[in-house]
Order: sequence, then C-alpha cells, then structure tokens
Amino acid sequence: MDINSLDINSHWICLHFPQLPVEVFARHQVEKPVVVTIRQRVVAMNLRSQESGIRIGSSMNTAYTISEDVVSFEREEDRELEKLTHLAQWAYQFTPSVSIKPPHSLLLDVSGCLRLFKGIDNLKKLIREGLDSLGFEVALGTSGTPLAALLFAEAGMPEVPIAPEVAQSLGPVPVSYLRVEENIKDTLLKMGISHCKQLFELPVDGLNRRFGVFFTDYLQRLTGKKPDPQKTIDSTPRFRSDITFLSDVTNLESLVFPLKRLLGELQEFLIKRQLLTNQFSVKLSHRGHPPKEFSVFLASPDNDSQMFLMLSQLQLEKVNGMPEVDNISVAARNFFEAEAGSGDLFQGTRFKQKDGRIHSKAEEARAIKLVNMMTARLGPQACFGLSLANDHRPERAWKPVTLAAKDYWQGGNGDSNPRPLYLLPTPKALSTEAGTPCMSGKLELLQGPERIDFGWWDNDAAARDYYIAKHHTGSLYWIYQHLDNCRWYLHGIFS
Amino acid sequence: MGEAPPESLNRQGLNEQGLASDDSLRGLLEKTGLWRASSIDGDYKQHCSTGFARLDQELPGAGWPADGVTEFLHDRAGIGELRLLAPALARLTHEQSRWVLFVSPPYIPYPPALAQAGIDLTRVIISQPKMPRDYLWVLEKALASQSCSAVIAWPGRIHEKQIRRLQLASKEGYSWGILFRSGASSKNASPAELRLRLRPLPDSTPGYSQGKENSAVAVKILKRRGRWESEEFTIAFDDQLLRPMPDFSEMVIDQKIPTTKEKPAFDRTSNPVIQTLHEYQ
Repeated sequence: MDINSLDINSHWICLHFPQLPVEVFARHQVEKPVVVTIRQRVVAMNLRSQESGIRIGSSMNTAYTISEDVVSFEREEDRELEKLTHLAQWAYQFTPSVSIKPPHSLLLDVSGCLRLFKGIDNLKKLIREGLDSLGFEVALGTSGTPLAALLFAEAGMPEVPIAPEVAQSLGPVPVSYLRVEENIKDTLLKMGISHCKQLFELPVDGLNRRFGVFFTDYLQRLTGKKPDPQKTIDSTPRFRSDITFLSDVTNLESLVFPLKRLLGELQEFLIKRQLLTNQFSVKLSHRGHPPKEFSVFLASPDNDSQMFLMLSQLQLEKVNGMPEVDNISVAARNFFEAEAGSGDLFQGTRFKQKDGRIHSKAEEARAIKLVNMMTARLGPQACFGLSLANDHRPERAWKPVTLAAKDYWQGGNGDSNPRPLYLLPTPKALSTEAGTPCMSGKLELLQGPERIDFGWWDNDAAARDYYIAKHHTGSLYWIYQHLDNCRWYLHGIFS
Repeated sequence: MGEAPPESLNRQGLNEQGLASDDSLRGLLEKTGLWRASSIDGDYKQHCSTGFARLDQELPGAGWPADGVTEFLHDRAGIGELRLLAPALARLTHEQSRWVLFVSPPYIPYPPALAQAGIDLTRVIISQPKMPRDYLWVLEKALASQSCSAVIAWPGRIHEKQIRRLQLASKEGYSWGILFRSGASSKNASPAELRLRLRPLPDSTPGYSQGKENSAVAVKILKRRGRWESEEFTIAFDDQLLRPMPDFSEMVIDQKIPTTKEKPAFDRTSNPVIQTLHEYQ
C-alpha cells in the first residue's frame, strides 16, 4: 500500500471512559464513595472514594476501615460493554462513523463533520458537556489516525493539536499504552525503550523479525502508513439507560425523579437523532427479587419527556409486589422518523383544517394525549377505534383498529339495508315456538329476509337470512335463521 | 367556544332594557343573587340540534347541551336509545376533531350502523376499563380532558356524588357526558342537568297508529333547566325499520304459474349453479 495513502485531512476523536467500571453503577455526580471490586480487591472507584483515601488494589476490609459508608459493587464487564454500546448510540449524534473499542473507548471519525460543528475544539466542547450532563468522565484524544487517537486518550496525554506528522506527535507517549501483547511491551521496556519516539527510531525490518508482522502492522496503522478502516456501529437506533441506586428504594413514588432523568435522556436521544417513539419500557430490578417491567404505549409517536413521564407514572402506580428497587432502566427500540414539521405559529387558534373541521393543533395534541393516558393505564387492548371492514358477514364487516396504526378501511361494504347499532359479540341462539323464534316472549318478524351467504371459501361460511324482529316489549332485534340447520339466532339490537 | 348563541343574547339584552326603569327590581336582581328563568338558556354554550324537531322544542337551548351530564333512563335495550343520539353524534363527529368516546358499551357499537347514521368512525373510540375504579377514572379524565365532544357510558350503579364529579369534569372539558341508566333510577335524585326517560312506544299510542313504517320512542323529560318536566311525547325515527315483510304465504298460492315451481324463492339447492354442480357429481 502506498505510504502516501493516508488522507491528511482525516480527523479522529477517541472518547475514553476511564471510570466506566464505576460509572455503570454510579455516575460521577454521586456523593457517596463507590468502589468496584474483583475478588474483594478495589479495581476502580469514584472521586469521593479517592478523596477519602481508598487506593486501587486495597482490600475491601481496608476500604471499610477508611470509610464506613463505602458502597461496593463486583465488577461487571458485560455491563460496561453494554453501556459503551449505548454511549456509542449517543455519540452517533455527532457522526455516523462511530466504532466501539472495548473495553472503555469509542472512536469517532469526525473528518466530515468539523465544519458542521464549527471546528474540532467546539466539537470536543460539545462532547464534554454532553457527557458531563450524563454523568460520565471522559478523556479525549485527537489525531489523524484512529489508533493514535485511541493511544492519546488511553494514555491520558495532554491534548495536542492534530499534527500532520502522526509519528512525530506520538513521540512522548509511553509504550506501555500501546495496544499490543503485554510480553512485547515488557521486552521493549527491558530493551530500554520506554517512549514511542525511541520505538519509531528502530528499523522496521528488525522490529518485524523480532516481534512479528502483527506488531509492525500495528505501528504502520498507528502512524498512518497503512490505511486502517474501522468497523462502525450499525445505525439502527437503540436506547437504553439505567440508574443504579446505592441504597434500596422502598418507596416507588420516589422513583419518579430518576425516571424523569432517564426519560429526559430518552427525549434528548430522540431529538438528536430526529426520531420519535411510540413505545418504551421501564424495568425495575432488585438483586433479591425478579424484575418488574412495564411498557408504555403511545397512540402516536412522540418525543416529549413530560408526556412519557406522566404515562409512566400511571403505570408505576399500578406496580405491586416490588418492595425494593436497586436499579431502574428505560429502553426503547421502536422508532419513527420525525417529520420535519414546522412549529405552529397559531398554536391555540382554531382554524378550518384540512379535514374540514375547525380545530387547533393544541386540540389535536390533547386528543392524542387522552388516548395515551387510557392506553397507559388500561393497557393497549382496552382502547381502540372502530372501522368498517371489507366483508359482508356482519361479524366481520367491522374491525377494531389500534389508534396508533389508524388503519381504517376506506371503502364502504355496500350494505344499504338497515343495520343495528349494537352487535352481539357472538350470536345468541333463540328458542322456537311453533316454528317462530322466541326470546322470553314472541318475536314478530317485521322486515326480511335479507340473505347473507358469504365466505363459503374460507371455512367460516355464513349462510343466513336476517330479519328485523319486534319483541312484545317494543325492542327491535336483528335476528337470523341459519340456512343449514334452520335455527334462529339473535345477532343485533336496534338500540 | 364559550359564547352564547345570538338569540339568547338578544333576549337578555331586551330584558335588561325593560328593567332599566325599575331600580328597585334591578337592585334585587343584582344583590340577592336572584336569577331569572329566562336567562337560563344563555348558559347553554353551544347547542347541538337533536335532529328531531319535537325534541329540540322541548330542550332548553333547542338542542342537546354541549356539556354537563345528560341521563337517559330506560329499561330494555333496543327501543331507540342510541338512534335518538345518532344525528347529534353524526354532527359532533363531523364538526369537531374531538373524540366521541364509548366507555364499556354493553355490546359492540356496530360500525356499519354508525356509518349509516352518518357518524365519522375516525372520531369514535371505545375504551374498556376492566376494574371498577378505572371505569370512573376514564369517565372523569375523558370528560375533563377537553378532547372528547361526547362521552357515552353505561355506569350501572353509580353514586350521586360520582355523577356530581362527572358533571364538574364535563363542564371543565366542555364535554357532553351521556349516561344510560335503568328506568328505576328515576326515583333517585341526580345532579345531572338533563334527564330523559325513554320507553318503547305502546302499540295503542294515539297519533301513532299501527302500520307505520318508522319506529318511534316515547320520551319524557324528567329534568331540564328552566322548565318543569315535560309530558311524554313521541319521537319518530326516519328508519323504516317497521316496514312490514312481504307476505310470502301469498307467493306460494301464486305458484300456479308453472315456471315458479322450478324456482322457489329461497331454496338453496334450487340455485341453478349449485344444481348443475350436483349433476356433475
């Protein structure tokens, strides 16, 4: 590959999260000392623990002696990776080429978006501010190659402006941060090579013979002498965020504040990705109980966290059998493109709208809100609309429609004969007296028969003669005689 | 919304002019909280014609109220209780973008019939709360939400205080609350603004003789604002539901003509296509 193939205009930012093992449990605003342990040894901790004097590597006994209110968690690498994936989704707001570098780093190719974000310094500022409000500590590294950016960030080097000569700028970086096998780094240190500058002065052939082709390949990609394409995350949006409580929450009402925060994050995610969602789920977990999860359905996709919160609260009130909670998470995976709609200048004013009715946008929003509230409290099946359907069988001439889908059948079914305003969900068999149908009293056949003989092709044939019948009390019924067995059934009421 | 129709404005204006000379009477009206029955109509913000001239005549504001709770008391289903509402619901669904909400209807409000009555189905929603406490929650929230033009419910046993809450909610949300209750509840007082009793029409009703093609219902207004309860009167629907069946027994007698024997009107097996199929088999 040509040495000059490196695009000198490429810019990479690496987001390194040094505190991720702690932050999956406690974001950095937490006021309590939190430590993460592996086999009772502290491997990571938050700032508060550091201030109280706990050190990496000390045992939990020592930590408890130093500070008695320290909270410890066993390290969970799966959760770190999961969190990193969600941070990658967050970073997608800046550039589509985001790649995940486990264990704790993300790489962003920002070459194409520098102009949009008014330069790399401004972009870095935006990233820092965003992550700070989410509660994550980040070390940023910038360079012309992905691996160099990664190296800068992971080494915690003071940020330097991107130099066209990558190798030169890497000079002062200690070799111990290189992403290569430990024994290579050991050998290099034993050889007296502690910084990259010394390493780059060595002849490539010699390094190749001594450490193998993988090492020299790494160095070439690091310095941009070889192209280094990165595997970017797929653009399918996903959202999940959680908050772990350091002490168990026993009062479900106090979950409203963490929930509000998580839903605020969801709203920000939706706005940044120009998406709307119509469904999200809230999960309450505790180490000692099976988790409880509920889904919130919206009648129409939205991105309003206030509405999300109100609907979640309705469901939260109904959660029972959950005495304690130590983690709450919000996840969403159903997304819709947000329409590039313009705001309504006359929000509250009533106009004749496209559908010929006089109403305002605010009223439309209220109509949707009511449906949202009812679906949230009663469940998605308990609230629906009505539509005609393309069938002549009375029980199939209509269908319930979900108000989110609004799949109304547009045509009519051409039935012009009178239909009752009430239909029985299942026809009720009627007794007969001397051949005429009865229902605690004689039924007088008024109008009919209207023959409906339909559906013999789909194993649910309806072959019936419908009549309007008058009960002696004055009620009008819609009854039919089954053509095959000549039995009578009540199917509707002219209410 | 919130404006009185021009007629009642005029009426009020005239009355005030008429009273301007009598200071003592005016003072009485202003200070003691007395109100005149004639000003009641003005309280009805927006009227929706019932679609039945006689009913409009009887109702304050010449139509269904735009808000407040209206009770329909009847014992049996199928006497025209929903047909009485249908013209108004059709208008509401076409004029407003708000919902018409049915809360736990006893049977399926049958969409083909609703469509025949001119009701825009895209404005109709059904809610089926399972728990009793959810039921009143839905009613109250929907009435107060300002997003329903009418909320129709079959509450069964409902307490007077609960109706009062619904009444307040419906005023808050400019929603018309419609409750279908049993005829027996007419004995109990209710805070509902308007109460109507519906009965099937006795066959011997004078002025509505046998042999008519349209069905009808007997309505008595038990409670309305500004007036006493009404006499029972008849509302006839334009539905032709009572059109008598052609007498098929006579057709059988007419079957002397030889050709009709081959084609009895409603015998399935005599269908020529099916017959040929049988022959083939």
